[in-house]
Amino acid sequence: MASTTADDAGSGRLAGATVTMRSGAKNIAYQPATLNPTPSKRYYLYLMLPAIIILAAISIYPFLWLIYMSLHKVDIGGAGDVWNNFKNWSRLARDSKFQDGWWLLIKYSAMCMLLEVGLGVLLAVILNNSRFEKMLVTIFLMPMMMAPVIAGLVWYYLYNGTFGWYHWLLQSAGILGETSILGDTSTAMIGIVIVDVWQWTPLIILIVLAGLKRVPRDQLEANMVDGAGPFRNFLQISLPNLYPFLLIAILLRFMDNFRFIDAVLVLTGGGPANSTKILPTYLFDVSFQFFKLGRGAAIALTLLVVTIILGLILVRLFDSPAGKAGQTSAEN
Amino acid sequence: MASSDVVQYRSPARRVLEVLTVLFLAVYLIWTMLPIFVMFVSSFKDLLEAFKLPRVGDWSGIGVFFDFNPTFQHYIDLFDDNNFSTYLMNSIIASLGSALISVVFGSMAAYSLSRIEFRGKKDLFFWIISTRMAPVVAVMVPLYAIFRGAGLVGTLPGLILAYTTFNLPFAIWILKGFFDNVPYAIEEAAMCDGCNRFQAFQSILPLVAPGIGAFLVLCVLFAWNDFLFASIIGSGGAKTLPVATKELVQPQNIQWGKIMAAGVVTTLPMMFLGLLIRRYLVTGLTMGAVRE
Amino acid sequence: MASVSIKNVWKLYGKTEAVRDLNLECRDGEFLCVLGPSGCGKSSTLRMLAGLEHISAGDIHFGDVRVNDLPPKDRDIAMVFENYALYPHKSVYDNIANSLRLRGMDKAAIDQKVKKAAGMLEIEALMDRRPGELSGGQKQRTAIGRAIVREPALFLFDEPIAHLDAKLRAHMRGELKLMQRELGTTMIYVTHDQLEALSMADRIAVMHEGVLQQFGTPDEIYRHPVNEWVGGFIGEPPMNFLDCELAEENGRMLLRHPNFTGELTTGQAALIKDKAQNGAVRLGVRPDEISIKAASVDGAAKGRVLVTEPLGGDMLVDVTLGDTKILVKTKPDYKADMGDDCYLTFDTERWHVFAGDTGLAYF
Repeated sequence: MASTTADDAGSGRLAGATVTMRSGAKNIAYQPATLNPTPSKRYYLYLMLPAIIILAAISIYPFLWLIYMSLHKVDIGGAGDVWNNFKNWSRLARDSKFQDGWWLLIKYSAMCMLLEVGLGVLLAVILNNSRFEKMLVTIFLMPMMMAPVIAGLVWYYLYNGTFGWYHWLLQSAGILGETSILGDTSTAMIGIVIVDVWQWTPLIILIVLAGLKRVPRDQLEANMVDGAGPFRNFLQISLPNLYPFLLIAILLRFMDNFRFIDAVLVLTGGGPANSTKILPTYLFDVSFQFFKLGRGAAIALTLLVVTIILGLILVRLFDSPAGKAGQTSAEN
Repeated sequence: MASSDVVQYRSPARRVLEVLTVLFLAVYLIWTMLPIFVMFVSSFKDLLEAFKLPRVGDWSGIGVFFDFNPTFQHYIDLFDDNNFSTYLMNSIIASLGSALISVVFGSMAAYSLSRIEFRGKKDLFFWIISTRMAPVVAVMVPLYAIFRGAGLVGTLPGLILAYTTFNLPFAIWILKGFFDNVPYAIEEAAMCDGCNRFQAFQSILPLVAPGIGAFLVLCVLFAWNDFLFASIIGSGGAKTLPVATKELVQPQNIQWGKIMAAGVVTTLPMMFLGLLIRRYLVTGLTMGAVRE
Repeated sequence: MASVSIKNVWKLYGKTEAVRDLNLECRDGEFLCVLGPSGCGKSSTLRMLAGLEHISAGDIHFGDVRVNDLPPKDRDIAMVFENYALYPHKSVYDNIANSLRLRGMDKAAIDQKVKKAAGMLEIEALMDRRPGELSGGQKQRTAIGRAIVREPALFLFDEPIAHLDAKLRAHMRGELKLMQRELGTTMIYVTHDQLEALSMADRIAVMHEGVLQQFGTPDEIYRHPVNEWVGGFIGEPPMNFLDCELAEENGRMLLRHPNFTGELTTGQAALIKDKAQNGAVRLGVRPDEISIKAASVDGAAKGRVLVTEPLGGDMLVDVTLGDTKILVKTKPDYKADMGDDCYLTFDTERWHVFAGDTGLAYF
């Protein structure tokens, strides 16, 4: 059956190409590629190229190197790498410091995270109802601006058993004895946790504050009319609305605790007696103190895998209501 | 729609709560500011005075903290004896350099990713951000080996490249969101008016400029505060402020006043920057997961 | 069941006066509408009644009880919000049951009441659904269900049907009125739609810029607007206004307009005589109180037809009278073309005259 121009007009065809709108297209910027069939893709690809190349050089290449190194006894002296026959990996299973490292890392992250979220939520709720919110938040932000290594140094100074003010305070209050908090294996972990909590609670405050401001006001009011007091209201309405934010905060801090050891290095270096030798710190020792790069690579790979998994979960959360109203990233 | 706008009714229970709240806030405020305050004040203390403490339990002796002769000597020494002007320059060059590279290439890539669509885009995107998530220590191992081979260890370009490892994916990730918010229709209108593609891109730059500016500052912040990359890859020729500060901690005869002064020099610029980009902090620090 | 008394109530947001010196009485069992355009203070008033805003000055009593310092949950009220404010993670059943659960009612009693409310609103089939799965009308009925299940002393409805489509709105007007009659609960209903107010309320309180303009039955408000603003706000299509000169001549009171001269009735003349100076006034006539003819009539105003808008059962004609444009409502059998002359006669019993300076009505 021959198609006539009338047919074409009736069926809504546009110059031979059917125009379709993607249903549910969330990315308003997306539309061009189908509506404007002019040569476009190549242009964009070229634009992306430099960045992609750099990234590939910085991530894929090192990643491959990591795998390579984990399978060799790496000699940085230049004498050549020796194939290790998976020895680096099998050693890990017997390496108590490796296992301790993971256990301590989880313990460390969990403690930090619990305290930070607990304090953070409490403070965010208080600040949200305060007249001085803006001013106080700005002050509370300051610890985050410090380099973690510097924070570590300052707290090291404060913790010192001889001349540290913090130690003096705790000792005078009867909480501590003479040994500094970092010098005692039973308290060292708490010591480094406090530093992390000091520095990063403000981030949790910021995140929870952003979440509190998104809680729909009329639901709160409806619940008030229904008979809820302010505390009940928070639990029933505000808190459920905060879950995506809290989840993001928790994951983020977990990941950051895996990644950054600046402060720990300066505060305890992993001691005393390896009581704070969290895995990344152990990795640092193996790679850059003992220079066993092969072993280090194997450890690094395990750390990488876990962090990536956490990252995957975090990215899922980008689609949550937390990032709405002008969603930034993963709405592809 | 702030939950703080919801009406509140006074009651005796509420009043007690209010007092407790103020107390709690005050304690937290003091606890937060204490280390920063100590750092600042101690930077003006001479060697021995930095060690002064009241006797244990002597609460009234707290005034001892303030009993000293302020001296600028540490700051002067840092720059005269300890080469801190070099380290300051290194920090500036390294952070600014990597920030600029990251933002320039990053915005190009972000723009493309925002406008283009293809299969596997989501995976590509995740790969990009995963490089940002990798633990620094883990990344350092191969990077060190590679850079050593390429002779980049101890050089500023090497450090800049190392910083780009985390700044570039960060820039792409966040800036894509900004470009997503600018309707393509604006560029189409510009092209109808006769611009070519690149000019159209330039026409939307003013719209994303504030965001780009803010993230440039954030990139500088992250790079400036870094320690691990700088100490391993920058060691020798490209020492930055954080590394230099740590190195002031000698086994003997620690000059705490000087170290605190170095800390101030390292931290103060970042505090200003933080105030500058206050609005974008949440988005930046959560990698875009939370939008302020 | 409660009567509501609002005495000298003010609401200030910082320096802005949202509600100024409001005095209002609502009888027990009455359907009272607070009507006005956005920003007139009606929502603020309702929220003060609910306890969701603090009262800046004045007193509100429910019956004998002064409620100024009572939180919403102690006021025995139920509210329906403009955007329904349903709890998204709870089912329709749980949404409705929420207030009963908060008050510690036992399960069986809750179940019975919820089912009864759902039955009244015909939403029994939706009990297990979440608000996200409901249509606008269903959400609204769930919100109403949440309000009526408590059997409170006072209903507070904040523009509940504003976001429904026109047809549904028309339907709900009748439903809501019927429901209120059946339940017998005092209802204070806020709206900006004067059609809703006129059709549903026992009495209407018209507000403008924080000030109560007029308080009366729909009939009173429609037929005897107390000032020019109320006259122009109530009635669809709106009232026409003409600038005239009031003049006395031979014992008669005349309205002089470039295109016509009208004469007041004796009753009207008596009302106006002592109060007005001869001078500028505004004449208000509703579109359906003007008759329009193609042929010249004695004493009629001569105008020119701009456009005719046939509406099916009626016809609206835009007419220029001098440099004023007025709207006339007539039957479709009036035929005219653009530019034709026409002759308008006003219903002198029904027209209104407002003072030129204050806008207050003489009659």
